[in-house]
Amino acid sequence: MRFRFCGDLDCPDWVLAEISTLAKLSSVKMKLLCAQVLKDLLGDGIDYDKVTKLTADAKFESGDIKASVAVLSFIFSSAAKHDVDSESLSSELQQLGLPKEHTMGLCKSYEDKHSALQGKLRETSLRLGRLEAASWRIDYTLSSSELREVNEPIIQLKLQTQGAESGSTETTVVSVSADKFRVLLAELKQAQTRMNALQ
Amino acid sequence: MMVVALNRLPVTDCLTLCHRVVDGLCGREPPRKGDYSATWSLEEWLQLLHSLTALFRLAVGNNSSDEEVLAGLADVGRSHAEAVLSVLRARREEIRDALLDRTNSISSATLQDFDWQLKLALSSDKISSLHTPLLSLSLDVRENRALRSVTMEMNREELNTLISSLEAANKVVLQLK
Repeated sequence: MRFRFCGDLDCPDWVLAEISTLAKLSSVKMKLLCAQVLKDLLGDGIDYDKVTKLTADAKFESGDIKASVAVLSFIFSSAAKHDVDSESLSSELQQLGLPKEHTMGLCKSYEDKHSALQGKLRETSLRLGRLEAASWRIDYTLSSSELREVNEPIIQLKLQTQGAESGSTETTVVSVSADKFRVLLAELKQAQTRMNALQ
Repeated sequence: MMVVALNRLPVTDCLTLCHRVVDGLCGREPPRKGDYSATWSLEEWLQLLHSLTALFRLAVGNNSSDEEVLAGLADVGRSHAEAVLSVLRARREEIRDALLDRTNSISSATLQDFDWQLKLALSSDKISSLHTPLLSLSLDVRENRALRSVTMEMNREELNTLISSLEAANKVVLQLK
């Protein structure tokens, strides 16, 4: 059987197996576990002490805890990746044997964080470099060894960029003549207009 | 100055040569020795080329008057001197731009050229429908005659930040004009 939340593929066996582990938790505790896993996926970190307490009633061993966190992570991120709505997710999880109460709690948590989750996935998608900061200074050149009377402005531009590898920040300092600067700005605005027209 | 050697050329050839010398000064193809090997020896040629380049460079750099330029060309025949002067008059702006370019690259890296590309990222391993526009900007930076390329990829927010920063700088530049 194919599932939308698995990208129209079969559900992986390990997910199927760990759904029955989830069913051992009470639906309330599982909903609280969902909140922890979502926090982790959104980059706010997971509180493992809380997770241990939540799963204590069900007498989970560390392997069970890891498996339940992993399966919830998979369900949330895969459903968000494939843009599955919470109703479809609900019916698919029930088909896979997750009790109705549990499914409702999980899907409610998913629905609340659906767009935040997608935003996070978009943000963490592959990027070949980013612009981190731009700073500038305008100088007015009065005279030089080449030209006695210059009287022209020049723009000093400092750009901090991040390369394709994360953590590799590069700083570029470049001076731009007033004419070239005008062209650069005009073309960037042209690109911005085209970019804004896309939405 | 060895400009007096110009007298060996007919006036029309002298005009052509002067224009080619200015071409070289402005970063395009300079005159070739081979075209003039019958007129000058290698040493004479190098000296003449050096002197003519310096003449154009200094005349524009110091904003010399026609009289001052002609005074420097006293040894050269009247018609040859006029030819040099006419080239100088015609290309003063271009030479100034070249000198300005040299001024701007004194002790700093300069922006030589740039290119950009607007792309729509459709999908990624993280999310199947990404639909995010990205702008690739590539800057060719010249530093000590060597060209280096700096590339970055910006999303909408980053591009907006860059543009508003540059806009603020542009306001100051416009006030100076």
